Amino acid sequence: MAEMSLKPKRVEFGEIWNPLSRTVESLITLRAVDRKVWNACFSDVYTLCVAQPEPMADRLYTETKNFLESHVRDMLANKVMAKHDAANANNTNSRPDLLQRYYTTWTEYSQGIQYLHKLYNYLNQQHIKKQKITDTDTMYSNQTSAAGQMEIGELGLNIWRVIMVEYLAEDLVRHILEGIAADRASNGTLDSHRVQVINGVIHSFVEVENYEKVINDVVNNVDNEKTQKPDSLNLKLYQEHFEGPMLEASGAYYMIEANKLLQRCTVSQYLQEVIKILECETKRAEKFLHKTSLPKLRKQCEEKFINDRLGYIYSECRDMVSEERRQDLRNMYIVLKPIQDNLKAELIQTFLEHIKNEGLETVYALKGENIHIAFVENMLKVHHKYQELIADVFENDSLFLSALDKACASVINRRPSERQPCRSAEYVAKYCDTLLKKSKTCEAEIDQKLTNNITIFKYIEDKDVYQKFYSRLLAKRLIHEQSQSMDAEEGMINRLKQACGYEFTNKLHRMFTDISVSTDLNNKFNNHLKDNDIDLGINLSIKVLQAGAWPLGSTQVIPFAVPQEFEKSIKMFEDYYHNLFSGRKLTWLHHMCHGELKLSHLKKSYIVTMQTYQMAIILLFETCDTLSCREIQNTLQLNDETFQKHMQPMIESKLLIANSENLSGDTRIELNFDYTNKRTKFKISSALQKETPQEVEHTINSVDEDRKLFLQAAIVRIMKARKVLKHNALIQEVLSLSKVSFTPNIAMIKKCVESLIDKQYIERTANSGDEYSYMA
Amino acid sequence: MADDGENSVDNKPTDDSKPEKMFTLKKWNAVAMWSWDVECDICAICRVQVMDSCLRCQAENKRDVLGRQDCVVVWGECNHSFHHCCMSLWVKQNNRCPLCQQEWSIQRMGK
Repeated sequence: MAEMSLKPKRVEFGEIWNPLSRTVESLITLRAVDRKVWNACFSDVYTLCVAQPEPMADRLYTETKNFLESHVRDMLANKVMAKHDAANANNTNSRPDLLQRYYTTWTEYSQGIQYLHKLYNYLNQQHIKKQKITDTDTMYSNQTSAAGQMEIGELGLNIWRVIMVEYLAEDLVRHILEGIAADRASNGTLDSHRVQVINGVIHSFVEVENYEKVINDVVNNVDNEKTQKPDSLNLKLYQEHFEGPMLEASGAYYMIEANKLLQRCTVSQYLQEVIKILECETKRAEKFLHKTSLPKLRKQCEEKFINDRLGYIYSECRDMVSEERRQDLRNMYIVLKPIQDNLKAELIQTFLEHIKNEGLETVYALKGENIHIAFVENMLKVHHKYQELIADVFENDSLFLSALDKACASVINRRPSERQPCRSAEYVAKYCDTLLKKSKTCEAEIDQKLTNNITIFKYIEDKDVYQKFYSRLLAKRLIHEQSQSMDAEEGMINRLKQACGYEFTNKLHRMFTDISVSTDLNNKFNNHLKDNDIDLGINLSIKVLQAGAWPLGSTQVIPFAVPQEFEKSIKMFEDYYHNLFSGRKLTWLHHMCHGELKLSHLKKSYIVTMQTYQMAIILLFETCDTLSCREIQNTLQLNDETFQKHMQPMIESKLLIANSENLSGDTRIELNFDYTNKRTKFKISSALQKETPQEVEHTINSVDEDRKLFLQAAIVRIMKARKVLKHNALIQEVLSLSKVSFTPNIAMIKKCVESLIDKQYIERTANSGDEYSYMA
Repeated sequence: MADDGENSVDNKPTDDSKPEKMFTLKKWNAVAMWSWDVECDICAICRVQVMDSCLRCQAENKRDVLGRQDCVVVWGECNHSFHHCCMSLWVKQNNRCPLCQQEWSIQRMGK
């Protein structure tokens, strides 16, 4: 045990180094070393490092260095450069041998160095590392440190680099490139041993400069993750000697290949080939190269096959898109995907135009009564089709999705001409109306269609127009009890609220609540009647709407002398209502009321549904059989328009007979006692429930009025905040404020600015014509 | 109507003898609109229609529960009317009607 003493002692260098160097030689050439010897060598290293009076670490280092240098030189001369190589450098048969010999030697040497590094652990840890730490602490540089010593692993690899690699690099790289070219020529079927050799040689260029990685791979697996970060790798040698020439050679190869392809391929085939080549080159890179080269090689490949050939690739783009050749488009997408977005613009733009054309085709030839249904459903089909295509072909790429959005928006918001307004908002609103009205369609299907409808709705720029139409149609559905289901109605309002916010649906909600409040109110009123033993003799149902929420202007209240048959009901209800609420007044909207009248003057008795005005007219015939139009109008206080509108259907139904075609004041109206109808219960059709062109126009005009108010308010708000603003800046801010509900035209904004100047909210500033300032 | 056939011939002559009227109202679906019974339908304090919620309530996005009973109208003895919300803030500073300067006292409240 004495020989294992850790105590420093006086020693003769040669006595220890000479046997030690033999072990070193055995290690470095991977010859067997006896365990006992191996163990003894550790203490030899230790002994030399701590020798007295002077430690011999430096000398050990120098001797080891000398030994390694001469060993590597010897290997270069005798093992790697076989003698005939120097003479027959051009003999192609000998070429692969250089790689093979280098690889074999390197495998042996790098392994040996790892053992050696371990053997010199004490020297590495105690002598060299400590020295390095003090160096960096004091001067942040170990280049100038007097010793300039490296750990043995690093030293060994460094010697290899200087002596072996620097000398052979050019030849090695040439052989490697030939090997890679051979792999390309054989479609990647180079024999696996060759691949292993080439791969090993290439990686030796990296490993030789990153001794920590090499050493730690074997010695210390725990530290691997810390030291293996690629950005911490030193790749200078690899990049300068190998990667650069390799990329250059590959680029030249790609260019030639691309040219060859161009000569024999259609675009469609070219795309297929390029995809194959990209895949092969990626595999090849993984097979041979260090992983940091992969993106660079791919880029080179893309550059030569794609970027440089964009003109060719795009040459059939229009046909591929218009014929929707999915496989070709898919290939084109795969090929274009890695390149910059702006270079894909042509495909995207072509695709956008294609969707737009198809949209316009399916939507703008539409005619007839159900145009709104066809409009929405055709547009949905287009949207759905291309959404599916984008998922299938373009991997849901956001660039393509936004092209779809742009195309749809442009079709949906297109005006048929400068003069005509875009009617999409109206169509979409009417489509909802059709769905929400009573029909045989099942609830689930309606729900699905309403959800789909939102897809189209979102593209509409004139959301305010939609809102106007929607609220008018909703009002009609609610008042005339045409809704299929109140749940569906509420669901739709909630969808709109989700899409456009509370403000947008506020009034719709209020309308909706009015109806449920009215239902309650009717129940309470009927109970009240029952409790007080009052019989009105009719089945009364009253809807009380709040003013302001419903799209029914007060102008629509028409003078009407209410027949006494209704009076009791009205009075009873008003009394009840005023008792229940205070401060409210009720206005009866007779033009929206209807009822059932039992006719007993004919052979059979009939129950007829009709408007209140029509009921009032018929009731006049209780006491006489003929009346002049003037008499009827005077008794009921009806204006001409209302009278005509309600009288005509009664004549058409033949319940009443007129003695002239046109109804003038002197026209005599007679009760038809010979009237018959197969049905005992029927309805007098009324013009009221159909949307008239005037109503449509009225709706559009009222939208314009609302927009002006909105714009003026927006301008005042902006100017109040900014105080002074240039014309163009003001326009921009107004546009951004209004885009949620509509896109105003600039002329309208200018008009609003003018009217605000007239009203002295703002003024033009004195020194500049295109600047406004806020007047407090 | 089983006896329709028998009566068909002398339907008209029997008309007078029948007490039943020729026309009877069976059912009436009426529509009425309510509004606050006010002289001026704009609240002079917030400049919003009294039928709508006042500015504050709109800004706070208050939900309209059962026909908007939370932002009602109030009438003073002077018969001027305002949003109750607006007026209750106003009287904290000045207990007079903003329109006629009479001392403010509530005549009635909307419900």
